[in-house]
Amino acid sequence: MFCEKAVELIRELHRMSDGQLPAFNEDGLRQVLQEMEALYEQNQSDVNEAKAAGRSELIPSIKLRHCCLLRNQRCITAYLYDRLLRIRALRWEYGSVLPANVRFHMNAEELQWFGQYKKSLACFMRSLGAGEGLDITQDMKPPKSLYIEVRCLKDHGEFEIDDGTVILLKKNSQHFLPRWKCEQLIRQGVLEHVVS
Amino acid sequence: MDPSEVEFLAEKEMVKIIPNFSLDKIYLIGGDLGPFNPGLPVEAPVWLALNFKQRQKCRIVPPEWMDVEKLEEMRDLERKEDTFTPAPSPYYMELSKLLLNHASDNIPKADEIRTLVKDIWDTRIAKLRLSADSFISQQEAHAKLDNLTLMEINTVRAFLLDSLNCMFKLRSNLRPGSSKGQSLDY
Amino acid sequence: MSDSLSDDGSINQDDSQEDVMTPAELIAKLEEAWLNEKFSPELLENKSEVVECVMEQLTHMENNLQRVKKGDAKASVHRMEIDRIRFVLSSYLRSRLQKIEKFFPHVLEKEKSRGEGDPSLLSPEEFAFAKEYYANTETYLKAVALKRMPPNLQTVDLLKAVPEPCLDSFVFLRVKERQENILVEPETDDQREYVVDLEEGSQHLIRYRTIAPLVSSGAVQLI
Repeated sequence: MFCEKAVELIRELHRMSDGQLPAFNEDGLRQVLQEMEALYEQNQSDVNEAKAAGRSELIPSIKLRHCCLLRNQRCITAYLYDRLLRIRALRWEYGSVLPANVRFHMNAEELQWFGQYKKSLACFMRSLGAGEGLDITQDMKPPKSLYIEVRCLKDHGEFEIDDGTVILLKKNSQHFLPRWKCEQLIRQGVLEHVVS
Repeated sequence: MDPSEVEFLAEKEMVKIIPNFSLDKIYLIGGDLGPFNPGLPVEAPVWLALNFKQRQKCRIVPPEWMDVEKLEEMRDLERKEDTFTPAPSPYYMELSKLLLNHASDNIPKADEIRTLVKDIWDTRIAKLRLSADSFISQQEAHAKLDNLTLMEINTVRAFLLDSLNCMFKLRSNLRPGSSKGQSLDY
Repeated sequence: MSDSLSDDGSINQDDSQEDVMTPAELIAKLEEAWLNEKFSPELLENKSEVVECVMEQLTHMENNLQRVKKGDAKASVHRMEIDRIRFVLSSYLRSRLQKIEKFFPHVLEKEKSRGEGDPSLLSPEEFAFAKEYYANTETYLKAVALKRMPPNLQTVDLLKAVPEPCLDSFVFLRVKERQENILVEPETDDQREYVVDLEEGSQHLIRYRTIAPLVSSGAVQLI
């Protein structure tokens, strides 16, 4: 059946959960393009035949093939476009440098698209507020000005909090700190959030 | 909308605090605050009140509605009426959560209040589900939603709006000659 | 605390314009725009003036904070406020950018067909971004697949291929200025159209299309 391969491309993306990017299916794409070429060539010869010999009974098959061509085109575009949307989401998730295993699943043109997208976004953010610039990929969640209880996992030395107080981060000491101040240290494994 | 964003908006509400420090007036972009004097009640937005409270710099005075007797009355009324009665505060759920979690020692009968607020919330959400259901089954085009709070709306938003959009698409595809949805399939 | 933080000067103070806005009113405007943009199915008119003024306020405040000596109790309060405002601002700009990406051919088309003197949908930065996004995507589709297709299928009309915003979506709103005789169209063929009055302060669930002009004019707030 015509268009089967094209629909398979769509299914392939549909099966992946949101946000996941499967490897680019170059082989599937090529097969659809081959089918299109065959359909097109057959249509060309049928059109000539219909014109030259007045064989109007060929017209329905021509129309059918043309519909299949359009559908193939539509499916391929949808496949490619949906992948772009996933790639776009990756920029917001990982920042401007994608992990190698993600890049591995992209083809050369997708990498190029991604590079340009990064550039456009950076340019947009730089030009905000009459050239002031604002990184809108930050501040994704509402700020919480709350304090949390943390335990120190290793000696880290002196640490200044916002109101100017300096505290000593010594192994096993516990502190009450502004959450946003210690998030990075938590990620680095210096502090641990004590959940009471 | 993420619930944390509704909470963010709730944190703009003003509460009364009793500071234990002194500080001159603060000229914030969003308006002036203070001055703060030990023992003297002063208004502050919840985000700041909670920060002071956590650093043991103030006591929070619970909002007037956060009171067992008042909430009991409201709960009873909410159960009696079929429609939504005026909520204790446009952010009653979030404020209760925030204040009870971080300043429960300043709120008399905190546990009772927690239960009452939950009862009121449950009653209202049950009503909301019923009215959402009838809105869809009656295929209404407009509903008046007075007294609903943002957090309440937010709990049904995604589900209700998606359902309505879905129904709309199905219906407009049924209509002959409709241009909508036509381009979707060939 | 240094006096630098104490200047609570209104914006446009030196202008003799009528719409002199205090910083507090400016922040309120930003929050309105944020919620409207979050909930409206289509991209709304840009508010780059508000964005610019808010950014100015933030920069001004941050500069002042640099000069404040350590341990100033007010500084941390100012920082918290800055974080809150910056979140709303970023979230607002993100919502817009997401819609621009989602509806890029339609957004550009609307901008192109805009009459002279009509307010523009996109800020200059957004317009530049949208054009680049369009070109980038078109180039990509051509390079990977379209140019390998039969000659009569080497172009795709992006205006038709990319879904349009659905103006028939329902939205929640709160009325800021009373409105009379809003025509509610029937949902089914056996219903009739009717009119409603929108009382100030009341809240409604209604199709976006019905009240879209009221969102632009500021008579209603999406919630």
